[in-house]
Amino acid sequence: MSDHKQHHILSTRLALTIGAVLLSLTGFTVYIAHFDFGRWNLIVALLVAVTKAMLVCLFFMNLLYDKKENSLIFATSFFFLAIFFTLLATDVFFRGPVKLAKGQALYLVATGAQAKPKFKRPWVATPELVARGKKVFTQNCASCHGDQGLGNGPASASINPKPRNFTQNDDWKKGRKVTDIFRTLTNGLNQMPSFASLSPEDKWAAAHYVQTFGAKAAEPAPADFALIKIDPNSEFGGAAATVKSIPIDVAIELVVRDAQRKN
Amino acid sequence: MSQTVVSTDPGVRHHAHHFDSAEHEFDSAKQGMWLFLVTEVLMIGAIFVAFMTFRGLYLEDFQAAHKLLSVPLGATNTVILITSSVTMVLGVTSAQRKQKGLTVLMLFLTFLLACGFLIVKYIEYTGKFHHGIMPAGLYTGVNEFAASSDAFKLFFSFYFVMTGIHAAHVVIGMGLILWIMRRAARGEFTGGYYTPVELVGFYWHFVDLVWIFLFPMLYLIG
Repeated sequence: MSDHKQHHILSTRLALTIGAVLLSLTGFTVYIAHFDFGRWNLIVALLVAVTKAMLVCLFFMNLLYDKKENSLIFATSFFFLAIFFTLLATDVFFRGPVKLAKGQALYLVATGAQAKPKFKRPWVATPELVARGKKVFTQNCASCHGDQGLGNGPASASINPKPRNFTQNDDWKKGRKVTDIFRTLTNGLNQMPSFASLSPEDKWAAAHYVQTFGAKAAEPAPADFALIKIDPNSEFGGAAATVKSIPIDVAIELVVRDAQRKN
Repeated sequence: MSQTVVSTDPGVRHHAHHFDSAEHEFDSAKQGMWLFLVTEVLMIGAIFVAFMTFRGLYLEDFQAAHKLLSVPLGATNTVILITSSVTMVLGVTSAQRKQKGLTVLMLFLTFLLACGFLIVKYIEYTGKFHHGIMPAGLYTGVNEFAASSDAFKLFFSFYFVMTGIHAAHVVIGMGLILWIMRRAARGEFTGGYYTPVELVGFYWHFVDLVWIFLFPMLYLIG
């Protein structure tokens, strides 16, 4: 190793240029935040941030002109972060529901862990149900079916067959009556998992909201209700309308409450 | 792009005996700094991962909560930090060119900008405290936010922990800048030896890097 090795010096002009680019990118990311791209907001913001970070690392921190081993060392930390996040996400974001034993559903309602059903005859669409359905849809369905129900959500890229486009009124495999959508939510279809852990009310609400993307659908017949074991003469749909499983975070919450009670 | 180079002159400062040469010493010090920055990435990165996880689980609450943060103040601080990164890099290059006066001036400007950052942060924090917006356990919300959900408050736990750790880094960075500014003023970096300036520069750019991610995550998208 020579004592006379030349060190790279960033020119003042380039330093100022990079600074100006960083400031412009800041302006850009603030401006673009005024538009709602739904789930793409995060991706867009992260892309801009990563670009800015790369400029700082490559030019201000000299990695572009430095020994490659320093870049490698720094990159390693992000590699391990990626492993950390990926493994965690495969758990947290893909937890299945917890099945309930007989009687536990009533216990959940009694202890307030599960909300009492609010809507009577929820298979009949009301503006309140549709509004609730929009929330359920955004949280559970939009990542694949898209915010506008076009079947083009961010996660749809890796799915085959493609998620249903709700604005097309024909060729729905299981039909598009509100009871049909309720059944598909309960059972799942192709790549779509079962959403049996949603409360029946949330499933009805989501079904009504899904219908708003397309034309008015046919009214369900008694036979359609029989398929999903719902009794349309009972206010809340009868015995089959009780919850059979709950999301795992509700279950965790219950375990915590139980532990607190025992202490 | 025009690039200037300068040769390191080991004449002024003798390298420690366990290094082959001044160059060897410089490279090792720099590599040590990168290794330190790796531990910093892993520390802050773990909090980012936690933030992303809870954001995914409680998207609605986090998005509602982030609207309480002031984008103009956050953006002002972004501009301040990026500008300070530019003055810092100019401080390093003037040390490389053995321009003592310019090095001290640039480091001083960086220090002033860091003060500006903390002043804006102070305005933000006191504004939040005034409304009872605190980390989850201390949250008292004296207004319409009083009935907020736990996840809504959790967002502010992340906000205060993340920006708090970052602000601590800013304060430490300011101390380091003062230290090398004093050494620069004494003419310690005019003989081709400028390792401390370069490494403090890395630290300061890292502070900027963290904020480059904090700003969009907390203020813009929530």
